[in-house]
Amino acid sequence: MNEFISLFIKYLPQLLSGLQMTIAIAVLALFFGVIIGLVFGLMSISKNKLLSGIATFYVGLIRGIPVFVLAMYLYFGIPALLGFTIPAFNAAIIILAINSSAFLCEIFRGGIQAVDFGQMEAARSLGIPYRQTMTHVILPQAVKIMVPSIMNQFISTLKDTSILSIITVRELMMNSQIIVSSTFEPFYIYTYAVIFYLIMVTALTVLARFIERRMKYDHRG
Amino acid sequence: MIIEVKNLKKAYGDNVVLKDVSFNVQEGEVVCIIGPSGSGKSTLLRCLNRLEEAQAGEINIFGDDILKTHSLDKFREKIGMVFQHFNLFPNYSVLGNMTLAPLLTKKMSKNEAVKKAEALLDKVGLLDKKDAFPSTLSGGQKQRVAIARALEMNPQIMLFDEPTSALDPEMVGDVLSTMKELADEGMTMVIVTHEMAFAKEVADRVIFMDGGYIVEEGAPEEIFNNPTSDRCQEFLSRVLNH
Repeated sequence: MNEFISLFIKYLPQLLSGLQMTIAIAVLALFFGVIIGLVFGLMSISKNKLLSGIATFYVGLIRGIPVFVLAMYLYFGIPALLGFTIPAFNAAIIILAINSSAFLCEIFRGGIQAVDFGQMEAARSLGIPYRQTMTHVILPQAVKIMVPSIMNQFISTLKDTSILSIITVRELMMNSQIIVSSTFEPFYIYTYAVIFYLIMVTALTVLARFIERRMKYDHRG
Repeated sequence: MIIEVKNLKKAYGDNVVLKDVSFNVQEGEVVCIIGPSGSGKSTLLRCLNRLEEAQAGEINIFGDDILKTHSLDKFREKIGMVFQHFNLFPNYSVLGNMTLAPLLTKKMSKNEAVKKAEALLDKVGLLDKKDAFPSTLSGGQKQRVAIARALEMNPQIMLFDEPTSALDPEMVGDVLSTMKELADEGMTMVIVTHEMAFAKEVADRVIFMDGGYIVEEGAPEEIFNNPTSDRCQEFLSRVLNH
C-alpha cells in the first residue's frame, strides 16, 4: 500500500500531463466531430438524393473502420503514400474527430427524425424558412432527445484516446506505458490509469445527468 | 376569387388521392369540406399551402399560382393553418409560440409582437395562460392557442384540418365558438371537419368529397337537406343518424 502511494506521488506529474493531453485531444476531437457530424446529419435528412447519399456513404465507410486501423491508416498509411508527415497531436484529433463524427451523424439524424413531423409542418406553414425552423424549433427539441446518446459518444471517444498511444501521442495511456517500462510495476501504474479514466467518465456521466435535468420539459405538444 | 383550384391531381406512388379537383373560394367565404376518411379532403387542404405537393393542376391564391412560386414562405405567411394535433412548439411558452414566426420573418419589434399576441390571447380567452408551456394546457386550450398563433401572422386565409377531431367532447365547443367568431369577422376559411352541425351553421358553402373527387357542393341547406348524389346521401345518413 505504501508503495502504491509513493509511486503515485512520484509519477503524478507525468500522469497528469498525460491526463491533460487526453482531455485536450478528446475536447478538440469532439468539437470538430460534432460539427462534421451535424453537417452530415443534416445532409442525411436532406431531400436531395446526392447529399443524403454522400452522408450514408460517409457513415458506412467510417463506421466500418476500427479506430485502431483508422489511426494507423491516417498517421502512417496516407502520409507514406503522399510523402508528408503529420504531427501526432494533429493526427490524433483528426482520427477521433472523423471516427466520432460518423456516430454523431447517426445520433443527430435519429434525433431530428424523432421530432414529430408536425412541428416542421406547423413552423413552415407559419412562413418560417427551413433553416430557421431547424435552428429554432426542430434542433432544440432534437437535442433534448439526443443528449444521452451524445454523452455516450463523448465517453466512448474519451476512452478511445488511449488507442492513440500507438501513434506516440503522449496521452494518459502512453505515459503510463512509459512509466511501466522504467518501473516494472504494471499493476500499480495501470491501476492509476484506470482510476483516472473512471474519474473522467464519471464526471461526464454526472454532467450528462445535470444537462438532462436542466432540459426537462414535457415533450408532448 | 381568393383561391382558385383547377384540375388538381395528387398521388402517393400508385395510390391516387386527388383525381381531378377544381373549386373556388371567394374572399370572406367559409367553406367546409366533408366526406368519408380517405376521400382526399385533408390532402386537398394540405395542397393549398403546399405541405403536400400536387402532381398536376393549378392553385391560384391571391391571383398567383403557388405551385410555381419562388417565395413560398411569403405565401404561407398569408395562409394560416390549424392542425388536428395542434403542433404547438413544446420548447416555447404560449407567447413564445405566437411571437416566434413574426419575430423571425417580419420586421416586428418584440414589444409589438407580444402586444398583438396578448390581444389575440384575450380574444380566445387564454390571456392568463400566456406564460404557460403547451404541456400544461388542455387540448381545447392548445387548439385555441394554435388558432391565435396562426392569426398573429395576419393571414388572409385560414385553413383548418379537422381542428376538433383530437379533442375531448367537452373541449370541442370552445374551439368551434372561436372559429365561429373568426367567421363572423369575415375571415376566409377552408375547414375540413366532421362537425356537421358546425358546418351547417357556419359554412357559406359545403363541399362533399369522396374517392378523390368533389362529388357535390353547394349551400349547407342544399347539401344537408337535399343531397342529390347517392354517395352524399349515404354518407350523411351514416353520420347524422346515430
